[in-house]
Amino acid sequence: MSEFGNKIYALKTTANKERKVVDDIVKLLKDHPEFDIKAIMAPDELRGYVLIETPDEYARMEQIVRLIPNARAVVKGETSFAEVEHFLEPKAAVAGIDEGTIVELIAGPFKGEKAVVKRVDAGKEEITVELYESMVPIPITVRGDNVRVIEKAQE
Amino acid sequence: MVSKKQQNVCRSCHRMVDGDACVMCGSTNLTDDWAGYLVVIDPRHSDIAQKMNIDAPGRIALKVR
Ligand SMILES: [Zn+2]
Repeated sequence: MSEFGNKIYALKTTANKERKVVDDIVKLLKDHPEFDIKAIMAPDELRGYVLIETPDEYARMEQIVRLIPNARAVVKGETSFAEVEHFLEPKAAVAGIDEGTIVELIAGPFKGEKAVVKRVDAGKEEITVELYESMVPIPITVRGDNVRVIEKAQE
Repeated sequence: MVSKKQQNVCRSCHRMVDGDACVMCGSTNLTDDWAGYLVVIDPRHSDIAQKMNIDAPGRIALKVR
């Protein structure tokens, strides 16, 4: 069940035009405020379809088919959020962070300080860093989303 | 299909990036190795955006390798 009263509709598209259809719908929204679309996605696993998240009714989605050249039909009925959830991969908090990466802390008591990553615990989404300008290198463990990558480790 | 270079995305926040750095998080850690395309229009009222931890509208990769 959607937290926001949204439904998910599957829109059949011409093969290999999935991303173009997404972009064309986004463009369409600028001139058609009557559509209330929250998000649109084209998972690579789902060839020939895009998924539209909206509180709008089925009939409104059929209008999209008439307005977008590569949109062919709306699949009858709604898809539940649970059915599409596996297409979504939330960004990993430690994505792109390795040993040696230089980061800036963006939260907590050391906010604004630069640090070098010493260890990455992908399972816990935590990293251990040492502050750059500290006299005594004290390891600090923080959540991966509490830092911003400044410079990648040298290969 | 001819393999065409995909647009770069930010490894940290999955946003599509046109220049050398991500305008959302500042990261220069970019990659064109991603799959699945998502456009978030209204992040505050989207279950998909909530699930993806997306809080600003924009073009996003579903999966970044
Ligand atoms: Zn980013």
